[in-house]
This record gives sequence, structure tokens and C-alpha cells, in this order.
Amino acid sequence: MPATVQTRDPRWVGQGIPRVDAEDKVRGRAQYVDDLLVPNGWHGHVVRAPVPHGLLRGLTPDPAFDWSRVVVVTAKDIPGPNCIVSHDRSMPVIASDEFLYAGEPVALIAAPTLRLAREAAEHLRIDFEERPAILTLHEVADQFKHNDPALVKLCGQTIRKGDAEAALARAHKVVEAEYTAGHQEQLYIEPQGLVAEPTGDGGVFIYGSMQCPYFIVHELCEALALPPEKIRVKQAAVGGAFGGKEEFPTWLAGYVALLALKAKRPVKIVYDRHQDILYTTKRHPVWSRYRTGLNRDGTIAAIAVDFLLDGGAYLTLSDVVMYRGILHAAMGYRCDHVFVNGLVARTNTVPSGAFRGFGAPQAIWGLESHVDAMAAAAGMTPHEFRLKNCLVQGDTTPTGQVLKWSVGSPAVLEKSLERCRFDEQWKKCSRGKPGAKSWYGIGVSFFAHGAAFTGDGEARIKARAAMDLDWLAPGRPGGIVRVSSTEMGQGALTVLSQLAADGLGLDLSRVSCPFPDTALVPNSGPTVASRTTMVVGSCVYGAAGKLKKALEQFAGKPIASGKEFDEIASAYLNKHGRLRVEHLFVLPPGTQWDQKTFRGDSYPGYSWGCNVAEVEVDPRTLGIRVKKITAFYDIGKVVNPVLAKGQIEGGLVQALGYSVMEKIGIDRKGRFDASRMQTYIIPTMQDIPEMDLDFVEFPFDHAPPGAKGVGELPMDGLAPAIANAIEAATGLRMRDLPITPEKLYEHSQKNLGR
Amino acid sequence: MKKITFTLNGESRTVAVAPHEVLLDVLRDKLGVKSPKVGCERGDCGACTILLDGKPVRSCLILAVEVEGQEITTLEGVGRDGPTPLQESFIRHNAFQCGFCAPGIVLAATALLEKNPKPTAHEVQEAISGNLCRCTGYEAIIESAVEAGRQGTARARKPAARKSANR
Ligand code: FES
Ligand code: FES
Repeated sequence: MPATVQTRDPRWVGQGIPRVDAEDKVRGRAQYVDDLLVPNGWHGHVVRAPVPHGLLRGLTPDPAFDWSRVVVVTAKDIPGPNCIVSHDRSMPVIASDEFLYAGEPVALIAAPTLRLAREAAEHLRIDFEERPAILTLHEVADQFKHNDPALVKLCGQTIRKGDAEAALARAHKVVEAEYTAGHQEQLYIEPQGLVAEPTGDGGVFIYGSMQCPYFIVHELCEALALPPEKIRVKQAAVGGAFGGKEEFPTWLAGYVALLALKAKRPVKIVYDRHQDILYTTKRHPVWSRYRTGLNRDGTIAAIAVDFLLDGGAYLTLSDVVMYRGILHAAMGYRCDHVFVNGLVARTNTVPSGAFRGFGAPQAIWGLESHVDAMAAAAGMTPHEFRLKNCLVQGDTTPTGQVLKWSVGSPAVLEKSLERCRFDEQWKKCSRGKPGAKSWYGIGVSFFAHGAAFTGDGEARIKARAAMDLDWLAPGRPGGIVRVSSTEMGQGALTVLSQLAADGLGLDLSRVSCPFPDTALVPNSGPTVASRTTMVVGSCVYGAAGKLKKALEQFAGKPIASGKEFDEIASAYLNKHGRLRVEHLFVLPPGTQWDQKTFRGDSYPGYSWGCNVAEVEVDPRTLGIRVKKITAFYDIGKVVNPVLAKGQIEGGLVQALGYSVMEKIGIDRKGRFDASRMQTYIIPTMQDIPEMDLDFVEFPFDHAPPGAKGVGELPMDGLAPAIANAIEAATGLRMRDLPITPEKLYEHSQKNLGR
Repeated sequence: MKKITFTLNGESRTVAVAPHEVLLDVLRDKLGVKSPKVGCERGDCGACTILLDGKPVRSCLILAVEVEGQEITTLEGVGRDGPTPLQESFIRHNAFQCGFCAPGIVLAATALLEKNPKPTAHEVQEAISGNLCRCTGYEAIIESAVEAGRQGTARARKPAARKSANR
């Protein structure tokens, strides 16, 4: 590693050390799945349903084609029940008699070359009877608004506090509006890819690009009719994921595993960009409706929200995305009467899935846009209204949770407003002033993000981490971190290494953190929900501390230096061999959660954030330029400030794309209408605004050393801050993402017409 | 199949290619050079960027037969004995996260620094904006290239003296 460590302080937590995988990556040596040699490997290809909904009558192979050169897998070849065990068992691995979206797999083909596999696919005729399909969010939102029984509800959940309807009826003023946002593609630069190899014992070894190795094991063991221990899963270097490699790799693992088991040889599938955009999960489109009541004094009397997500064809994990959505849809403000009605509706499109923020950005988009509307109705500025109504320590959330600890509010709000001189800038906003050369606007958003799993989820999955005392190299003992958390760019390996080193009280060189392999690591849960540093990291820290104690007991004296550790650890290893210690995550004492009523402590802790966006809009072209973002975040103890800032910058730029650039719809055939990077436009280096970012630390004491989540937080609040700034600049309130010049134009024409 | 000869990272290489074969695939599949990445195969992302006679180009858009007699540099040929000052600057600034875009961006920035040894942030943005990164938000990439320029860029491609690891 290059010598860029800034200090020799034995404490690693809090230091912005470079990522431990930096040199491999910057020298092009990191091995992503497509870089791995797969001896005797074949290539797999997926044969897909041609229309969004149909009954599958059969598959007819062309007799003129030489099928002996390829292996074909259909639903009939699945050894166990034909389902992926996600949050329900509704989604088949391969469609058998009905398919629900265009592109749903109907058969799989493996061949020595990809070209041959694709050629074979063209010789397989799909016989089907087309059925009617529902394709868009707007169709299901209309069905919902009109109580249309045709609406297919995949799941629903409510949150109730007080009596929102009664409070609305009593309120001094009522403010109502609807907010929508479309799909967003994760667009990791490395496409999805996995390899499966049959193992000698009848099992299968799956490796490649993924976030959650144990998901693959547990979600596929039924279909493959294999005990979990016969499905071994290992991560390769991952070229970005953002949630896109959370549940989707299980589907892909199903394809390669079935092909490999039938072909009796390794099979690899790496999607090309076209397939990756067309046939993988995206962020759920959202329609939300806010009805809020204000008291005379500018406090909030009631918040009632309908929160509808487009789940696509199957449930997969949409219920939990919706849960996170509704838990954030009225979060952040003091209010005694709250009602949130969440549901996920089916459309005949690719199932929507995990994407950084997991429902929270969709909720906060509506909420924080609406807070500006409430402020205006109350005759207050957006910042005064937020400062007056924001939750602070001791306040109660919509689920009845009392915020007892680690509350970065109002600190993040106050600091951001001060840093960008919001009050002064607010007075300079153009508000669509005629004759101006350029319209300026400033907007703010304020939000919390529940850290880790919802409710008692962390306790239920019994997340644990292990530390092994073992030889790092001959003659060099050290601690090896054993967790199922993956490195996908966010810096997990580095942060976990820092925590392990501090737990052991040793130099970083005595710690190693390899990629997870389910043959070697316990299940510390999936790499999702901003939980890795906070939950898994705290377990690693705890396990490392236990390992140190165990060694000290063995030696009968404290370990004061690296040299002493080397001696004692070597002696232990020579005498007893490898030592493994584990540590389990424990929820804060008194945590209560009712999963039925959604009452109680919905998250162990919250990260807090505030975004201020400054925009310029060209009055002639209505081109939008986001000039500057000022933001403060409370992510608890910052374990690595350089990596944390990188997470924030990267997340904010993804959020910028979500706000004003990234657009993907459904065409008449039920397919995504963009399938290349030329048609799905993400921010480039020339699109980024100036970013002024900072942290305030309110450590979370129930998970030493006190980190909270960071990964998803930057995705949460930028879109509404930008929409609020655009209104301040133009006088136009935009309620549909992404906000484009075309939509601004349409909206301005409508306003003129009135 | 046609035999072509070109210089790859300083060594002469001869390889048989079909007329339709793309340079990116030949490098990766026939020559085992894996640092150029496959991100889109259509010239949109820049993950496959290589240097062709010193200029950054997208190897997914070039037919292998076109490079007869030319000089190709991939990341395998840059800073063989250790990271270059530019690469060290990338590491210090956390200018990559997943790392998938890094080979292309490092090469594009290397070429920029050779042409323009002290680029401004704006010049970096103009020169490298065709290379997409979904992780970093670009800020750190721009800072890295500007700082490497400020610290003297004539050495951008020469290996740095290896510092001993202190951790
Ligand atoms: S792979 Fe060549 S530009 Fe994307
Ligand atoms: S670091 Fe992941 S794409 Fe750039």
C-alpha cells in the first residue's frame, strides 16, 4: 500500500485512510467477474417473453437446428419448486404457464460460445396467448384514486397516530397535493454477471458480482432442491451495485446454476448493457398524495398520506421498500395526528427493486416538497417553518418512537442554513421575474434516514460477525474479519478493517478483510439498509475486542504492543490452531416494535441530513443548472471521513440525476424505452454542482464506536431541495420527477392558461 | 483471420483476428489484458479507454485490424513498478470507489496531463467528461487530476519511487 496514512495514532476509527483495495483498483488489477478465467466454461443466455402478459402454451424447437451443441433448460428442469424464495414465493425462476412481464425468462440456453447460445434462442419458438396488461404507474394511480377493483394490490400497510381525519376537519388550513416520480436505473458501470460451477458433491459454487451472498443461498435452495450448505457463494470484485445487485443476482444465480447443473460444467452469464437496463430491477415509481392540516400558529395539525409504489410484476421485496417509504413519509416533523396508507400495486413490468434509499427517497420527495407548500400556506419561509416544526430530541415520531439518543436535528438544519446564508439568499430568488437574464432560486430539504433494518429486524436476523485469529502469512499472525458484507465500492473492507484494528488495539497491518465466501463466513445479513458500518461494523469491533481478551487470558497478561501480540498470537496458533470468536448485534434496551400495527421503535437510530440546492434557470430555454449544494449530515461517529465524503458526493450526484436528468419510461410494448447509456442519461463530470459538505457527529452509543448509516442518506433529500429551489427561481411548482425543461415549459403554459 | 502486429505496453505482439473483431475483445479475450473494462460496447461509458499512440480512445469502437503497427497502452503498462504520481493522487483523494471506471479514467487523465501538464478543474472536466463514473460524483477525480498537475506532471507516466508501507 502506498504511504498515504496521515498519522501513526493507534486509533484507526475517525481517520481518512485510503481504501485498502485502492492500489489493486487504480492499477487495473482488481478482478471483476468478467475478468476471471473460467476453464471449460460455457456461456448462458436467457430466452424471454415477448409481450408483457401472456399464457405460455409451449416452446417449439426448430427441428432444423442442431440442438446437440447446446443445453436448454425450461421450468420442467427445475428440481424443486419453481420459485425464488423472496418475501413470498410468487416469482418463478423460469415462467412455466403464465408470464407477467415482457422479458420474463421462459427458457435458458448454454453453449460453448455466446453467439451459438443466442443463435439457438432464435430457433426456439415461444407459443403464447397474449393477455391484457397494465403498464404504468399512472394507470395504477388512477385505479387507486377511483377505487377501481381492477387494481392488483401486492401488499399494503398503514401507520396511525392520533386521528388524522378529525384533525384535518378541525385544521385552520388544509394543504393538498400529489407527487410522482418514475423509475430510476442503478446504472452501476459493471453490468450484472455471475458464474456457476457444479461441485463434486452434487452442489453448486456461484461467484461474481453481488451484494448479498446469503440471499442467493437461501432464496435458491428450494428451487435447486439443495441443502444450503451445498450452495457456496463467493463475491468477486463488484463494479458498483447501489441496490441493483441486492435481490437481482439471485435470479441470475438461478439461471447460471440450473444451466451449470444440467450442462455439468461451469456456465457464465454477463449481461450486456442493453440486457442489463431492460431486464433488471429499478427504483419503484411512486405516486403520493399529501393532505395536511395547519394550526393558526404555524404548527402541523395533521398529516395524511397515500403512498403508492409500482411494484412491477411480482412482490419480491417491494413490501419492505414500501415499509421504509411509509416510515419516512411523515417523518421529521412534530405532529400528533398522522395517517399513512402504503400500498404496492402490480404492473406488467420488470419487478421494481432495491435502489439506494429503498423507498425513502420516494417518500421524502413528496414530503419535503409538501413542507414548502405548508410553509407558504402558513405564511412562513421554508426555513422558518422547518426550524419551528422539526423533530428534536425527546419528540415522538409517527410510529410513537421517542427520539431518545443521537439526534442530529436541528443541528444539521441550523448549520446548513447558516453555511449557505439561506436567509439572505432566499430574498434574492427570482420567482419567475419577467425580463431577467437568469432566474435564481434556493431551496432546502431536511430529513432523517432510519439506520439498519426496520423495527426488530436486526434482532430477528441475528446478524453476527466473526474474527478469526489465524496466519495472515507464514509467521505473521493476525485477525481476519469474517462477515458476509460485500465491498461494492462503498468502502466496507476498509471501514471494517479500521474497526477490527481498533477492537484489537493493533495496527491495520495485523488485520485482513477478504471478500465473503459463504463457506467461510457467518451470516451477518445482507449488505443493505446502510447497516454495514453501524451494525456489522459494531459486531466486528465487538468480536475483535473479544479476540483480544481471549488472547490476553491465554497469555495471562495484557497485550500492549504489536510485538507482544505477534508473540502471544503465534504461541496460541502453534498450540491450538485457529481461533474464531463471534459477536452478535443487540438492539438498544427497551426496543419495542409491533410489526402488525407499525407502532413502536421503527429503527434503532436515525441519520439526519439537510440539503440546500441553489439553481439557475434560463428564462428562454428553461434549462436548469444546479449550481451548488450545501449539506450537513449526522451519521454518528464518522469512521472514515474521506470515504464517507465520497459516499455523500456520489450519492448526491445520483440524486441529481434522479432530480433533473434520469428518465426511463415504459413503451407501448411494455418495455423500458431506454436501453443504452446514450438514451438513459446520467450525470457526467460536466454536470456536477459545487458541493459544500460537512458532518456533525451525534454518535449512536448502542453500537460502539457509534456509527450510523451513511450509504443511502445522500440519495434522500436532493430532489425536493431542487424542486423547492426551482419554484423559488421560476414560480413554478414541479411535482413529477425528473424535472426537465420540457415539463417546466408545459407547466408554465398551463399556468398561463389559467 | 488476419495476422496483425502492434506494440502493446512496450512489447511487440502479433495476433490473428477476424475482420469484425473489436479491439476491446481482442485485448481481453485473446491477449489476456483485462484492465480495459466492458461497460457498454457502444462508446458511451469510457470504461474500455486505452491509449492509442498516446491518445485516449474507446477500444470498443475500434476494429482490431485497424491498429496494425500502432502503439497501445493499457493500465497494465502504466506505472509497472508502482503507482504513478497521478495514481497516488487518485488513491489519496478516493477518486474511485468500485474501481470499474478507474482504468479508463486514469488513462484519460494520464493523456490529458501529458498534453496539458497543469490543467484547471474546468479543463479536466472537459477532457474526461466522456468517461462515466456512477460511484464518486466526480469531484474527487477532478481534484486528483488537478493536484497531480500542480505537483509536477512530467512524471505522470513514470513510476513513483516506491514508498515503504507504514501500516
Ligand atoms: S465499453 Fe467502450 S465506451 Fe463503454
Ligand atoms: S468508481 Fe465505480 S464507476 Fe467509478
